[in-house]
Amino acid sequence: MKPVVGFAGMTHLGLVSAAAVAGRGFEVVCFDADGALIERLGRQDWPVLEPGLGELIGRNGARHRFTGAGRDLGACDVVYVAPDVPTDDQGQSDVSGLTVLIREIAAAMNPAAVMVVLSQVPPGYTRALGVLPPGRLYYQVETLVFGQAVERATKPERYIVGCADPAAPLDPRFRAVLDAFGCPVLPMRYESAELAKISINCCLVASVTVANTLAELCEKIGADWSEIAPALRLDRRIGPHAYLAPGLGIAGGNLERDLATVERLAQAHGTEAGLIAAALRNSRYRQAWVLRQLNARVLAKVKAPVVAVLGVTYKENTHSVRNSPAVALIKELAGCDLRAFDPAVRPSGQWHSRMTVADDALACCQGADVLAVMTPWPQFRALAPAEIARRLRGRVVVDPFSVLDRAAAAAAGLDHVVLGAPPRA
Amino acid sequence: MALAHAHKTPQNPARVVVLGAGGFLGRRLVQAATAAGTTAVGIGQRDIDLTDDSAGKRLAERLRPKDVLVFLAALTPDKGRDSGTLMRNLAMARAVCEATRAVEVAHLVYASSDAVYSFVTGLISEETPAAPADLYGAMHRSRELILAAETKAPTAILRITGVYGGGDTHNSYGPNRFLRQALKDGRIPLFGGGEETRDHVYVDDAVALTLAVIAHRSTGLLNVATGKSATFRAVAETVAAGIGQPVTIEPSARQNPVTHRHFDITNLLRAFPNVRFMPLADGVAAALAGMKAKADG
Repeated sequence: MKPVVGFAGMTHLGLVSAAAVAGRGFEVVCFDADGALIERLGRQDWPVLEPGLGELIGRNGARHRFTGAGRDLGACDVVYVAPDVPTDDQGQSDVSGLTVLIREIAAAMNPAAVMVVLSQVPPGYTRALGVLPPGRLYYQVETLVFGQAVERATKPERYIVGCADPAAPLDPRFRAVLDAFGCPVLPMRYESAELAKISINCCLVASVTVANTLAELCEKIGADWSEIAPALRLDRRIGPHAYLAPGLGIAGGNLERDLATVERLAQAHGTEAGLIAAALRNSRYRQAWVLRQLNARVLAKVKAPVVAVLGVTYKENTHSVRNSPAVALIKELAGCDLRAFDPAVRPSGQWHSRMTVADDALACCQGADVLAVMTPWPQFRALAPAEIARRLRGRVVVDPFSVLDRAAAAAAGLDHVVLGAPPRA
Repeated sequence: MALAHAHKTPQNPARVVVLGAGGFLGRRLVQAATAAGTTAVGIGQRDIDLTDDSAGKRLAERLRPKDVLVFLAALTPDKGRDSGTLMRNLAMARAVCEATRAVEVAHLVYASSDAVYSFVTGLISEETPAAPADLYGAMHRSRELILAAETKAPTAILRITGVYGGGDTHNSYGPNRFLRQALKDGRIPLFGGGEETRDHVYVDDAVALTLAVIAHRSTGLLNVATGKSATFRAVAETVAAGIGQPVTIEPSARQNPVTHRHFDITNLLRAFPNVRFMPLADGVAAALAGMKAKADG
């Protein structure tokens, strides 16, 4: 008989993880103390934008249940705890809410059930909890990626599981859940698993920092990063899925938190972590790439410039504007008139006092001196550069992610500025 | 650390008092502030010797509450590179602190220098640790610290890189010296091949930025640089091209390693997104016109 699996905390992570487990045929109980949220979920009104999520939960049918009653978790053999852990401006995690929830759930659980902490916690956290006997408490690394969360949760690359004693076999009910996904399972001590998550993010940051560093050089010396990156991906030491796309710095909050954690730990323990400081410095520098391009090409030349901004979320397929380079740019463009449009989020008037919110992407371009395409939404890829050119007053399109077709943009007479590419002759 | 504006929309101050008004930047600042409709009071060494023990008291007598005080006065390396010059420069900072403790000015703008930075690898930003390599740089860094410790006035620190333009009283290696040499001798001697890169700010751009900082009553730290460095060779070629007569550019055997200096001016753009800088060729032409006008006058 399959174990019953509980999830506490209907966050982005909790919602998607529960849907993936139910998708493998397990009965799943989803708990959140927020009654309004549970009521909303019961109406299938999903609070997060995540491709495929609604369809997956729909297919799960009666196996997938939402509840506002913590006691319902008493029927579960395995209970995942997955609330968000808030961070402050310095990337410092506040785990107090998580700890309170863990204690409440531990009290409500079946005395034989196991708990799996899925939230991101700093190294040392799980072992210090002391709420359950060692064999009944696990930490599991999550690698949620906004916009690809369902794909990653249903087809995980591997499971990294933190245990009190990695030599002891995993609880068979927990093991059954993991084995249902048919991927490698890597048990290790709590501290290793907690640091493994951070290590993954540090590797991603290192790759992106390398890409950003060299892409900027490309812009200066006539090379084109889009020609170089495929060559790197074919190198087995780097790999086909390496994070080699240049960007506008680290955004979203999670990577920043992990870098801050490494810096703090390194400082406290006296280890060398200059790489982290360099990555953070590069990130801050990259965040202003669009501002630098706008100043050099338009703002320093045009009196009373009008700037159009397409996209405000920090990436496509998400509602999140946390640490969004687009929002940062909008706030920095004091002294300019702005137009903005995003397919998922209405730009806030609090970001800029002279911003007009457009109804669609092309209306946003109307009469602007320059266009900045800040989020690579798929909808923007469908825009015809000629139509944009017809509406813009100026010719410059700053398109860091090369959302628009480069040849078509050139043919439309646009000065199309992308990351990692030299200016067109 | 970066600049923060107290006034989102620029506002003319009641009065601007400029210390070092007899210098290259000070003269232009007084002129520009006056032209912008601001009452500007220039104080030069002849008015108050800021190295004097009584300077703080005398300066306080000249200040009014709500004044903006711009501290440009300094003994530059051409006046001396020794510890005596350093101490006289520090005495000036002490006098300014004494005066601003006696009279609460609305805003203090200190013209520091990029000499507070060493020749690091990579871009220099306001986050780059100050690590002066000589007493001149140490002097500016010490003054910054003295002001931070001993005055309560809202303070903006401007770390200004090489400024050039007509009327420059200094003769340091760069556009102004090249112009003088080209005009006088028809030749521009370079250190080595002139491979080093530096950022050069036209004087009116530095003045305009200082006035913008005053108008926004900005506080914090800002590097004043264009973000576009050029080799000394390129500067010499620009001067030669602009001068309208044959000029020989003369490399020499290199005595010192090549050093570069590039600025990340992101914080400047964040503070003033529409900021514009005179391109080097235009600045050289303007400096040349200024020199010729002075010679003709």
